Amino acid sequence: MVRLRQLLIDIFSFRDRPRFERIGFLIFILIVLIFPWMVTSAYGRAVMIKFLLFALFGLGWNLIGGYGGQVDLGQAKNVGFGAYATALMIVWWKVPFWITVIPGIVIAAAESFVVAYPMFRLKGHYFAIATLCVALVWKELFIFWDWTGGARGVELPIRSGVDFVYMQFNSPIYYHYFILFLFLMQFFFVNWFRKSKLGYEVQAVRDNEDAAASLGINVYRTKVINYTIAGGLGALGGSFMAVYYLYIDPDAVMPLDLSILIAMTVMVGGAGSIWGPIIGAAILIPLDMYLGAWLGAQKRLGIDFMIYAMIMMVIAAKEPKGIWGIIERVRKKRTR
Amino acid sequence: MMLEVKNLVKEFGGLVANGDISFALRQGEILGLIGPNGAGKSTLFNCIAGYYKPTGGEILFEGKDITGWSPHQVTREGIARTFQGIKIMPNLTVEENVMIGAFCRTGDRQVAQKEARGILDLMGLTGEAEAFPTGLPIAAQKRIELARAIATKPRLLMLDEMAAGLNPLETKEIIQILQKIKEEKKLTLFLTEHVMEFIMTVSERVIVMAAGKKITEGPPVEVARQEKVIEAYLGERYAKGR
Repeated sequence: MVRLRQLLIDIFSFRDRPRFERIGFLIFILIVLIFPWMVTSAYGRAVMIKFLLFALFGLGWNLIGGYGGQVDLGQAKNVGFGAYATALMIVWWKVPFWITVIPGIVIAAAESFVVAYPMFRLKGHYFAIATLCVALVWKELFIFWDWTGGARGVELPIRSGVDFVYMQFNSPIYYHYFILFLFLMQFFFVNWFRKSKLGYEVQAVRDNEDAAASLGINVYRTKVINYTIAGGLGALGGSFMAVYYLYIDPDAVMPLDLSILIAMTVMVGGAGSIWGPIIGAAILIPLDMYLGAWLGAQKRLGIDFMIYAMIMMVIAAKEPKGIWGIIERVRKKRTR
Repeated sequence: MMLEVKNLVKEFGGLVANGDISFALRQGEILGLIGPNGAGKSTLFNCIAGYYKPTGGEILFEGKDITGWSPHQVTREGIARTFQGIKIMPNLTVEENVMIGAFCRTGDRQVAQKEARGILDLMGLTGEAEAFPTGLPIAAQKRIELARAIATKPRLLMLDEMAAGLNPLETKEIIQILQKIKEEKKLTLFLTEHVMEFIMTVSERVIVMAAGKKITEGPPVEVARQEKVIEAYLGERYAKGR
C-alpha cells in the first residue's frame, strides 16, 4: 500500500518543481481542455491536434535525446511500427484500436532493443548517423514489402459516427480529447521516469560516462534500456496517426523529415526538461502550419523552411538547452 | 587481505606502464602510492578500478579474482574511486550527484535521498545540496566526488590525487574529513598523491613507483630517506652529490 501510494505520488506529483512551473502547467492544461470550444475553425483544431501529437512524440524522444543525451535521428521508424501495427491489425483482423496499441509498442521496443546493441558501440555523431540509417532502411523495407501495402500504403475501413472501438470520429473534438489523453499518459510516465532510479542513471551517463561507471552504473546496458523505452513510446503516437489520418504509407509515417522534426521540437524547446517538448511543439507546429500555409498562398514557397532553419541554427549555436534554458537563466538572474 | 595485486603488468603498445607490480593492502589500512610524473600510478589505479584491462597478473579483492572486471562491477563489489581530474555530473545538483552513488545499493529514491543527505552533512556540504556543482570551488567539487564515492558503500576507497589543486588549508580540511569518514564507515584507503605533505601525514605505509616499477615500500618516514626514492624524484646526480 505504501509502495502504491508512493508510485502514484511519483507519477502525478510535481512538488519537486518550482511553483511557477506548476502554475504554468495548470494553465496549459486548462487551455488545452477548453480549446475545442474556443476555436471552432477546423484548421485551428487540426493545428492543436498536431501540436499535441508532436508534444507526445517529443516526450518519448526526450528520454533518449534529452535525459539520455544520445541524439537519435530515427524515431520515425518507431512511429511507423506503431502506425502499421494498428492499421494492419484493423484491416486484417478487425482488432479494436486499444488492443493494437500494445503490439505496436512491443514491436517498436523489441526492434529498438535489438538494434541498440550494435549501435551503442558508436558515440555522438556516429550514433546519430547510425540511427538515421536504420530508420531509412526500415522505410525502404516497408515500401518494398507487399504485405505492408508497399508504396501504396494502407487504407483503413471508414466507420460512421462515433466509434470508440476503432477510435474513429466524425468530429475533431473527439480526436482532440483522444490525443490529449494519450499525451497525458505519456507525460505522466515521463514524470515518473525522470524521478526513477533509471532516470537518474540515464542522466548520469549523459553527463559523464566514466563517473557513472565508477558509481556502479552499467553504462552500455543503461543506454540500451533507455533506447528501448524511448522506441516503445514513439509507437504510441504512430497508432494515433493511423486512426486519425485513416491512410498511412511509409512516406507519411516514417520519413526522415519526421525523425528530424521530432528531434528538433525537443531541442528547440529544451532537451532534458519535461516542459521542453511542449514548448518546442507549441512553437514549431503552429509556425509550420500557419507560416507555411500563408507563405504558400503568397507564392513564396520555401521561405518558411528558411525561417525554420534559421531558428534551429540560432538555438543550436546560442542556446543548446533550448528555450527552456533561456527561461531558467532569466529566472535565476531575477532571484539573485 | 583486503586487496592483493600479484605481478600486475600493463602495456600500452610497446610502453610498459606497469611492470610486474605486487603489493597487498590490509583491512583498515591507509596505503599511499607515490612516485614522480609518469611513474604509472594512475595506470595502476585504473587497472584495479577496471578502467584498463591488465596485460598480465592478478588482482584479488577480499580473496576474489577481479582481474579484468568492468568498472561498474568493481564498484558493486565494494571498491569506490575518485578521479584525478574532476569528473562530475554538471547538469545534476550536488544532492543528485550523491544520490546516483547511493542508487548503487538501492532502487528506492527516498532511501537514496536520505543517504545522500546524511553523507552531505558529514562532508559539510548541506548548504550546497541544491546547487549545481560546476559553479562551486574546486575544493567543494572534490568533496562532492568523495561524497559520491562513499554513497556507493565501499569497503575500499581509492583516491586519485585528492589534494591536487587545493591550498594548504583546504588540504588540511580534506584530511580531517577523510579521517572522520574512515572511522565512521570502517574504510580501507588507497591513495596516490603528488603533494608529499598530504601522503606523508595520512598514510601508514607507502609504495614508491618510478618508471613503471615498484621500487620500495614501507613506513613514510623511512621511505623518504631512502636513496633510490630521492634518486627517482630528484635525479641521480642530486642523490650522489648530497
